[in-house]
Amino acid sequence: MEWLRFTIGGLCILAGLSIALIAAFGLFRFRFALNRMHAAAMNDTLGILMILLGLIIIRGAAFDSLKLGLIILFFWFASPVASHLLAGLTVETSERLDEFCEREDDERKGGGL
Amino acid sequence: MTDFILILLATFLIVCAIGVSLNKNMLVSVVIFMSYSLVMSVVWIFLESPDLAITEAAVGAGVTSVLFFVTLRKIDVVWKRDKKKEETEENA
Amino acid sequence: MSKLRKDYEKSPLWKFLTFVKGDTPLPEEDHTEEWIRNVERAEETEKTENANYIELKETDPYEDAKRFAQMSGVRVFRKIYYVLAALMCIMIIAMLIMNVAFMPRFGSDETPTNNEVAERYLADGVEETGAVNLVTGMILKYRAFDTFGETNVLFIAACSVMILLLHRESTKLSVAEGRGKKLVKKKKREDEEDVDAEQDEDVILQTIARIVVPLIFLFGLYILLNGHLSPGGGFSGGAVMGAGLILYNSAFGFRKTQRFFDETVYDVIKVGSLCLYALIIAYYLFTGANGIDPMIPLGTPGKILSSGLILPINLLVGLEVACTMYAFYALFRRGSF
Repeated sequence: MEWLRFTIGGLCILAGLSIALIAAFGLFRFRFALNRMHAAAMNDTLGILMILLGLIIIRGAAFDSLKLGLIILFFWFASPVASHLLAGLTVETSERLDEFCEREDDERKGGGL
Repeated sequence: MTDFILILLATFLIVCAIGVSLNKNMLVSVVIFMSYSLVMSVVWIFLESPDLAITEAAVGAGVTSVLFFVTLRKIDVVWKRDKKKEETEENA
Repeated sequence: MSKLRKDYEKSPLWKFLTFVKGDTPLPEEDHTEEWIRNVERAEETEKTENANYIELKETDPYEDAKRFAQMSGVRVFRKIYYVLAALMCIMIIAMLIMNVAFMPRFGSDETPTNNEVAERYLADGVEETGAVNLVTGMILKYRAFDTFGETNVLFIAACSVMILLLHRESTKLSVAEGRGKKLVKKKKREDEEDVDAEQDEDVILQTIARIVVPLIFLFGLYILLNGHLSPGGGFSGGAVMGAGLILYNSAFGFRKTQRFFDETVYDVIKVGSLCLYALIIAYYLFTGANGIDPMIPLGTPGKILSSGLILPINLLVGLEVACTMYAFYALFRRGSF
């Protein structure tokens, strides 16, 4: 039973690592900030989910697993919002925005800070 | 293995420090500075001082860069594009 | 009782109090206009009488700077300056690298810090301080006075930022009030950026902030209260709580933050925590210097309520740091709380 759990957990971690690798590749391959943000957000949600899920499976039912689950929850709350704000900032400040994407309405919104 | 990772992180720190000072875009500089602080907190964990790692992550990567962003906004570095557009509208 | 007297305005105490308050009436006669007239008259007489009088022309400062930068001496100096700066940098780098090369390896036995002090800390630390986390035990028990100095540094830093950037919106002392005549209400500052920030409400950010900010505060409190058991303590927990406050502020704006955290709360928390910390330190110093038993039970190491006064000190330092972080943000952002 122990080896099965370890195998599943290891596979999860490997999948997460490969997602992180793809995200890093996309981060350098794309040319515009919004496209790069898409690649980075994939790592922030799916990659971290897979890695921490693997760790939870290996650890089993313990207090640490609860903490790891809370970390996943926090990342899923925080990372998309951060990406949203960053995208708003990019749209507001980028000087070459029209070269890379079309916009329907020109009204700017968002950009907390 | 630990030595190798530490050397890799230290190299990253040096590259970040040079990048902050040589970058022309201030916003990019602040973001690089954030990543510097983040890697520094990982280095603290490797040196077995998690107390400092927590402080570095909260102060260096969080509060300091927020202060930098606010200052950049105060001196009109971040919101430049709107102003340019307004100027062109006024001219037209 | 002296205020019941009818001529209390002549008493020295009342004069002193008004002097402290800053509303001493100025002498009635005003000499400034006369002085300005004198200066103008002197200039005119110089113009008419002195034939060599040349009127100063206003020059463009940028033009002056440009011309100055293109002078040959300045250009040569700049080249020499670059070379010298590069040389200086290389020398400092070489010196630092040489220093590092002579250092013992990290964590080896031969480091000069591995002396009897460290041995004492490791051997008796848990027993003497009651804190499982030795770092906190050292910082807040053996070296509590140093940490008090650091907290004072934070306090002074926040005060300096307030002196530089604070911009009160409320009634201000006008010139007329300074002369003891009447109160003039200064009208509210209308900063376009503020109005912008208040209207710029991001629904996504607000919804997430409503969920995440309490969690951040909880985590900060956990770090604060667990400072003597696990990594963390006053500074890190306070920084996390300050970051939570900043997040709340950037999501909901200043008006909603002022409902629970305005300048009065800030002043009370900041000064109060520093004073309490000073009292605790004074108690430690007094008992230690006179050889009195501090009478504070250390408890069993590993429990939350253990290690004597380290827990309250952690809490006070954390409050101080959180207030300082938020004060920096608010003062940089708007100039008031």
